[in-house]
Amino acid sequence: MVKQVQEIDDNSLKQWLLAVANQRDKQAFRALFDYFGPKIRAFGLSRLSQQGLAMDLVQETLTTVWTKAHLFDSDKGNVATWVYTIMRNQCFDMLRRVQHNREDTFGDDIWPLFDSDPASDEFADHKLDNLLAAYLGKLPKLQREVVQGIYLQELSQQELAEKLGVPLGTIKSRLRLGLEKLKSLLEKHHD
Amino acid sequence: MINHHPSDEMLLAHAAGETSFAMALALSAHCELCHQCAERVSLLQQKLARHHLSAPSGVNALDDATRVETRTEAQQSDWLNMDSLFDAITATEAEEPVLTKGDLGPAVTAVKGEQFILPRTFRQLIHSDLASSWKGLGNVSRLRFDTQDGKARASLLHIAAGGEIPEHTHKGVEITLLLDGHFSDEFGSYGPGDFMLMDGSKQHTPITQDGCLCFTVVDAPLHFTRGLSKLLNPIGELIY
Repeated sequence: MVKQVQEIDDNSLKQWLLAVANQRDKQAFRALFDYFGPKIRAFGLSRLSQQGLAMDLVQETLTTVWTKAHLFDSDKGNVATWVYTIMRNQCFDMLRRVQHNREDTFGDDIWPLFDSDPASDEFADHKLDNLLAAYLGKLPKLQREVVQGIYLQELSQQELAEKLGVPLGTIKSRLRLGLEKLKSLLEKHHD
Repeated sequence: MINHHPSDEMLLAHAAGETSFAMALALSAHCELCHQCAERVSLLQQKLARHHLSAPSGVNALDDATRVETRTEAQQSDWLNMDSLFDAITATEAEEPVLTKGDLGPAVTAVKGEQFILPRTFRQLIHSDLASSWKGLGNVSRLRFDTQDGKARASLLHIAAGGEIPEHTHKGVEITLLLDGHFSDEFGSYGPGDFMLMDGSKQHTPITQDGCLCFTVVDAPLHFTRGLSKLLNPIGELIY
């Protein structure tokens, strides 16, 4: 289906995104998908030089649009700029993955997607810290010592593996389990 | 008051995501401290978004309208049979929140018994396997990041109160972002948020009265120029 792209303006984009955010409206998302998809692919091709990677960029970017539509703040910018920042951040991480075989994601740290007021952010952090301290106690001991070691004592995973005398893989899996548990505890709290 | 800012070209490259990792960190951290440059980047992002993601009839800030139109038609005509991609994406559930180190409060680092809160851009990095630990010699301590940008070296650099770095020139370009405290050199004095670029033509001897913490990026090792300081040349390897 070829859209009459000339008729699409910022306002239609916004209505579609809001419909995705509020009603998980697939038709509205299809409109965004058809509008942004080819443009993201063209951007990806110019940056990543491979059709496959360009399509990965399309998928990653539009998946974020689909899953995080509710986080878009229409007072703070237009839809295209929001999608652009998601795409650029994703592309930055993909380039690092391709060039250096790194699985980490720093794009969203370098360019925060969601502007937050520093003051309230600090406050939220503070509150979250207290909550976390309380919930840490609910983790099984093995997971707790890994989470504490990494987050509170700022040890690297390798250092912690040496200190505890267990393989690095064990640290990683305990950390993952511990964080998942924490996440579920925090989610319960937010509900 | 921040007096030294990145150039417009650097801010544009940053908004476009086209700098090296180390440079992106420096620019991001500066923008967190400098409202003015943050606004610039946000404006440039809007322009870049219009350029890359706008309808052909829209204002194309940076491109020639005809070219964009042709390209867009081509894009549309082969944007078919994308149903499986569409289905894959819409089958994704709203993402579970991932607990990152950033959620656990600001990035904090401690050196010489002093704690520093770092810009948010360092939240993950400071805990990652790319960060080394603080290493020091005299008044000078360094924590290096392995940003894998070829020759570029990115570090946090701490100089204790009264400390000084021997006069040196730079083989390549050096970026210094002052995060905390003050320092001065032959060219001026600097405070938190100041973003300085030194090229190979200048020599300087930074001195700090009250101590300072910087983020630095150099693309080549430092070369000290003064006879006596040449003895100290190994410090160049250490501090940057």
